[in-house]
Amino acid sequence: MITSLAWKNIWRNKKRSLIIILATALGLWGCLLAGAIWMGWGESMVDTAIDRDLSNIQIHKKGYTQNKEATNFIPDGFRIIKETQSIAGVKAVSGRTLIDGMASSPISTFGVKIVGIVPAQAKKVTDIYNRLVEGNYFAGNGRNPIVIGKKLADRLGLKLHSKIVLSFQGLDGSLNYAALRIVGIYKTESSLFDQSNVFMQQADLLRLLNSKPIIHEIAIRTESARIMPQVYDALKTKYAHLAVQTWKELAPEVAFTSAAMESFTYIFLGIILFALLFGITNTMLMAVMERIRELGVLIALGMKKGKVFAMILLETILLSITGGVAGIVIGGLSIAYFSHTGIDLSALASSMETFGTSTLLHPFLPLDMYIALPVMIVITATISAVLPAWKAVHIQPSAAIRTY
Amino acid sequence: MPLIELKNLSKTYNTTAFPVQAVKNVNLQIKKQEFTAIVGPSGSGKTTLLNLIGGLDKPTGGSVFVEERDIATLKANELIDFRLHHIGFVFQAYNLIPVFTAKENVEFIMLLQGISKTIRDKKAVELLNAVGLGERIDSRPSQLSGGQQQRVAVARALASRPNFVLADEPTANLDSHTAESLLDLMEQLNKDYEMTFVFSTHDPRVIKRAHRVVTLEDGAIKFDVGGKN
Repeated sequence: MITSLAWKNIWRNKKRSLIIILATALGLWGCLLAGAIWMGWGESMVDTAIDRDLSNIQIHKKGYTQNKEATNFIPDGFRIIKETQSIAGVKAVSGRTLIDGMASSPISTFGVKIVGIVPAQAKKVTDIYNRLVEGNYFAGNGRNPIVIGKKLADRLGLKLHSKIVLSFQGLDGSLNYAALRIVGIYKTESSLFDQSNVFMQQADLLRLLNSKPIIHEIAIRTESARIMPQVYDALKTKYAHLAVQTWKELAPEVAFTSAAMESFTYIFLGIILFALLFGITNTMLMAVMERIRELGVLIALGMKKGKVFAMILLETILLSITGGVAGIVIGGLSIAYFSHTGIDLSALASSMETFGTSTLLHPFLPLDMYIALPVMIVITATISAVLPAWKAVHIQPSAAIRTY
Repeated sequence: MPLIELKNLSKTYNTTAFPVQAVKNVNLQIKKQEFTAIVGPSGSGKTTLLNLIGGLDKPTGGSVFVEERDIATLKANELIDFRLHHIGFVFQAYNLIPVFTAKENVEFIMLLQGISKTIRDKKAVELLNAVGLGERIDSRPSQLSGGQQQRVAVARALASRPNFVLADEPTANLDSHTAESLLDLMEQLNKDYEMTFVFSTHDPRVIKRAHRVVTLEDGAIKFDVGGKN
């Protein structure tokens, strides 16, 4: 009955209650949608980085990331690839031979990372084969085929089937030159990646290096993001002599950006709720001041101050939750809609490429935020209710009854 | 044994300009089932005296004994609890909860007392029938006339099974016919339920019906006429 009274009291001044409900709903809606866009952006950065080259986990020889010499290969790397494939939770494994070199055309020269791959393996780990804008992904039988990024092709003035000259240091320190035929041109979300990574078949690269089979990097894709920690632990234990790293360790800036987006959303939400706190307090103060006589009568009749406090608190919570639920529903529906259709940001494509994110953003909000939000609203409402409720319990019934 | 006993009761309001003594050394005993009117001109201290008896104000001197318990010594929450279980109130402006129906208004006091829903329902209907509003139990105060609202207020005052009912100018806002009808009801309840009524009033219709008339002047009792003694 107290709940019923509190609920009915809210609707005594419909216009005022609706304004605060609307303000709460719109504030939360805007905040949720903005947060979902940020988090979708963060997720997009992570997903594209994982799909493009990071994969979930990578194995290197210890010290390789500090000193990327060709001689710093993983000892017995091919055996480790085989063993890794049989670890529970591992979906696919790709061994990469990596050499730093220079890519030249008749008009220019650029520093590149030459990635030697087994295309069949690489296809299961990264999606460069899906990002081809021209040509194919090592489908033909031509000699020394190479797949390069669109940005590099543009900078070097090269086209599909053009020849590109790579120069790189061999394992013995000698300088090698090789002319390769461009069979595919890819374009990812990151122009930086596109201009600095070229892909060759591992066998071709090893032949040009005049080297025994060696690999510098093992890229591992897990069955799901959730299982990654278990796979990581298993690999870390099994290959304690090697550097086993997750994508978060390999690209901390991507991990940080993704985590920061969630923090930004909570901070933004906090600011919105803080602003609403004053609006709700004002509304409830007005409601209490208008009902001084009635509250005085309730106290006179025998309603204990604790119950009066609880009633005002309940009114505030119900008022806030009504606006909050409306905001969550509208926000949730908007997010679901845009998550399905995506938000096309191709007009900002060049800026987005700098961040390595897709131009089609899919807003996303984790479930825990939908759970945390009502809790945050109730906390806000509780704080908002303190002053009005304090006023209410300090009403002197004898004086209040004579108030008109 | 008196139901209510006031001993040297005083109340002084400390205003910023000068202290105002609203009630001066009042000694009064009210027995069970009395139908007492406290009368006097405006500013004579009627409402203050009623507030002191009802525990709505704290005296600055003397004591208020209800069934031999000095309510002036009770703490704020104890006093609220005491009012809830021992005193029924009827106000000049009815003061019903506007968002509640007549039945809910009557039921609410019993809810505060922790009485079960079934009993509350039954008793609220019974009381509204007793005050002649059996047909209007689902009406909100705004849908009732002044007289009907005051009848609901009387039913509400009785709902807590109080020891006595304090009525502050209950007929002031009512027309002559409605006022007479309300007084008929209160007299009936006084007889049927053996309910003690204490009125603060300057309405001659109430004074005419009262068994005892206590006249206040400048906060002190000037006359005390009638009563069971």
